[in-house]
Amino acid sequence: MAEPQPSSVQEGMDPEGPPAPASAEDRKAAAAMSSLETRGGDEEAEAKKSNNKQIDQEELGKAISRLELADKAGKVAAGETTKKEKEKEEREKRAKVKVDQGDVSLLVEELDLNKVKATELLKAHEGDAVRAMRAFVTAKA
Amino acid sequence: MAPPPSPQPLGSKERSLFTQVVKNYENKQYKKGLKAADQILRKSPDHGDTIAMKALIINSQGNTDEAFALAKVALKLSMKSHVCWHVYGLLYRSAKNFEEAIKAYKFALRLEPESQQIQKDLALLQIQMRDYQGYVQSRRAILQQRTSWRQNWTALAIAQHLAGDLVDAERTLTTFEETLKGVPPKTDIEHAEAVLYKNSIIAEMGETERALEHLDAAAKNNPDRTSVMELRAKYLLTLGRKEEAAKAYRVLLARNPEYRAYFEGLQSALEIEKSDVKASKDLYSDYAKQNPRGDAARRIPLDFLEGDDFREAADQYLQHMLHKGIPSTFANIKALYPDTAKKDAILQLVEGYAVGKARPLANGSAEKQSNGDKDLFEPSVRYFLAQHYNYHLSRDLNKAMKYIDEAIESAPESVDYHMTKARIWKHYGAAKKAAEMMEMARTLDARDRYINTKAAKYHLRNNDNEAAIQNMSKFTRNEAHGGPLGDLHDMQCVWYITEDGESYLRQGKLGLALKRLTSISSIFEIWQEDQFDFHSFSLRKGQIRAYIEMVRWEDSLREHPFFSRAAISAAEIYVKLYDQPNLAHGSLSNGVNGDKMDSAERKKAEKKARKEREKQEKAEAEKKDGKKAAVDQNGEPKKEDKDPKGGLLLQTSEPLVEAMKFINPLLEFSPRNIQAQQAGFEVFIRRKKFLLALRTLVASHALSPSNPITHEQIFRFQQTLSKLSEPLPPKAMEVINAEFHTLLPASTDLAKHNNEFLRQHHDSASHVQACLKVRQLIDPSTTEKNQQDVIRTLALEGSSLEDAVRGLELLEEGKADPKYKNDYLAAAHERWPEASAFEKKAD
Repeated sequence: MAEPQPSSVQEGMDPEGPPAPASAEDRKAAAAMSSLETRGGDEEAEAKKSNNKQIDQEELGKAISRLELADKAGKVAAGETTKKEKEKEEREKRAKVKVDQGDVSLLVEELDLNKVKATELLKAHEGDAVRAMRAFVTAKA
Repeated sequence: MAPPPSPQPLGSKERSLFTQVVKNYENKQYKKGLKAADQILRKSPDHGDTIAMKALIINSQGNTDEAFALAKVALKLSMKSHVCWHVYGLLYRSAKNFEEAIKAYKFALRLEPESQQIQKDLALLQIQMRDYQGYVQSRRAILQQRTSWRQNWTALAIAQHLAGDLVDAERTLTTFEETLKGVPPKTDIEHAEAVLYKNSIIAEMGETERALEHLDAAAKNNPDRTSVMELRAKYLLTLGRKEEAAKAYRVLLARNPEYRAYFEGLQSALEIEKSDVKASKDLYSDYAKQNPRGDAARRIPLDFLEGDDFREAADQYLQHMLHKGIPSTFANIKALYPDTAKKDAILQLVEGYAVGKARPLANGSAEKQSNGDKDLFEPSVRYFLAQHYNYHLSRDLNKAMKYIDEAIESAPESVDYHMTKARIWKHYGAAKKAAEMMEMARTLDARDRYINTKAAKYHLRNNDNEAAIQNMSKFTRNEAHGGPLGDLHDMQCVWYITEDGESYLRQGKLGLALKRLTSISSIFEIWQEDQFDFHSFSLRKGQIRAYIEMVRWEDSLREHPFFSRAAISAAEIYVKLYDQPNLAHGSLSNGVNGDKMDSAERKKAEKKARKEREKQEKAEAEKKDGKKAAVDQNGEPKKEDKDPKGGLLLQTSEPLVEAMKFINPLLEFSPRNIQAQQAGFEVFIRRKKFLLALRTLVASHALSPSNPITHEQIFRFQQTLSKLSEPLPPKAMEVINAEFHTLLPASTDLAKHNNEFLRQHHDSASHVQACLKVRQLIDPSTTEKNQQDVIRTLALEGSSLEDAVRGLELLEEGKADPKYKNDYLAAAHERWPEASAFEKKAD
């Protein structure tokens, strides 16, 4: 880049290649209105592509239902249910913790937290404001 | 109370007009669009969708407030129109209020569940906001609408992957693969990428065995050869299949014999212990023989060899490099310097060469002839020694200067040598001489961008912003909006903007400094927003692995040292502004003498300064009028910067609130940076957020228990608390009692504790300075003694130039007696005669 660039050269990415224009166009497209939108080109191209690959629509339909079944089954198999249940239990336990609104305001004021975060922090420490704040102050970086 | 949201059917003419409006908007024909919209509204003035479209167009023309007002009107008229809600979301999105935008999109989607466009917009925002669970849902919905697009399947997998459901992600990819009839051709890059993406998910689950199998089965012919081979070698090594792993790494090394990671892989595959010097040595010397021009196989052994072995290997390496006159020799070597024995051995060797003790290399003469150049050995040795003595672990600037002058004598045109000479001046503290020398080096090769950049930086260090931008302008598009500086902003030249800002900070031009530092923050913001483009683009191109890497990189974007640096400086300025609000009034800011004036004088000065400023601004405005308005790449006029000097930034009424915009991300992303914690402390203690201040103290103390600034801050915290006018809430006090006293127990005798700290660190200037500050704080009667003691720190052996400059600042902050200041300057000048900081000033 030792010399000034010729005027035909665009700054940034090559117009054919990666992001800039394609994405800019995309952004504009995203801004377009929904129900009235008809962007044919892209879809046709995709449709053609999928024809070339000879993807069977029926096959895909089956695949998607298989996927949904498998997702459920898989979770059971992977023991995720127990994990989720534990999380749920934890959540329920937390939900039961009673939180004093004065303590929430105290945390909001002293620790620059928003109400949601302050309440969460309190619940995580059984509603004990001093313990919650001590934990916050000494949190490991 | 709201009018019943009856759908208002339009006549057929209006319907087609409405389509026209939408088209016009998409094609950016805003004026036409507005005209058509108004035409519809004349017929049916209550048509919400049309009003919403109008709002959208107005927003694109830059009138955000008006657009929002109009969109609200539209919503009131047609509460149940998804178009109106979608527009509302789009407006919020363009105002960067993503949370509200998501809400609006969701509402629109509830009204029109089939709309792909709304669904897509929603998904984009969810991933941008890292709402992974929401993104999984949206992606599932999109996939169900169109199962034949592979990218929809991949996108669902990405969503599941990022949400942490690796098993689901793999299953999604597999389910799609099962629908394929036959193996796609090699040219199908999307497929090839998807295969490797799936492989990375399997590996991430920790199932290395299966990842290897999958790789062997599915990625044999993958066009990304390097990745496949690297992954394979890594998996084999992890699985303990050492022999195969060694073979794999050898193949990789045959492709690229300069990549250290391959050598490391091979070494552990061969089970060569780090301590087994002989085996390691043999391994590398084999490779060195195979590849006589390579560097890695020769350089790496220097890391593990010791004693005579090291000496011998270093001798060979150095002579080889120096004979060739390779300029980066020292840069390649200096990583060894923390090992004192190696440092000394290297120095001994090279000083030996300088007095003619070098053996001519066996092939040295042949090389010389083939190059046809004169031997570069002599000046290279001098150059190496100059760099050695300039390096902070082995610094002796006078020797460095002697060697570089000798080197320059034999090669008066060398850019590198002059550049090093400039760096030596910099270490002397002679900013001006350094800048002049670097500028001279630049003129030796005016077409070289590297040296140009370097010269610009040295001008900035010398506070000569004008000369710096002059240099930069030789490589910028100067017709860009805002000239060279504008182009540097467009090109996001972060280093320059940072250095420029810090230079203004040193000069006390706080407005300009803030302006630059704020620019850095906005550049980081832009980088974060740049993601938007890739959420859909990467999918379309099928570049999934790179996309995942980008998403993760973005998550820790503000960890970047450039951000911390800018944020710390910006916070420092805001703290200054809080402590001395009169700094906000322009030209007065460049001196401490503002305090000395009485109020009448100050008023006069302020008035004068204001007049001057106005005059200047007027002149500039006139200059600008001549030029035509600049346009950005889309042909839209650029927004005029209404505050080029940063004056408005300075005049903030709440500097500490502004500071938090830097402190929050700083503490979130760089909590292990002690300067960040200390900057946070300064802001929190002024905001009277004592628990947050305490938090930074706890963190800094954990990072470095004996940091001098932390020591001082702990005392300031204690003093501030003991002098509170209003007591803290009892619960907050309880927390402080419990946590602060691990840093400074309540029973501590403050003076004694401080003296103890001083005794422990009496030979470090920065610690002594901190202790003096504390002494001043707890006993204001010690001022005189403290100021005298600051002068004594100059005599400490370990005192650095930076320490000395800080000592001077300390005296200036304490408004020391001019007598002491002069003594200090004289003593400092004697020790650092070249340093510009201690030159006799006119006043």
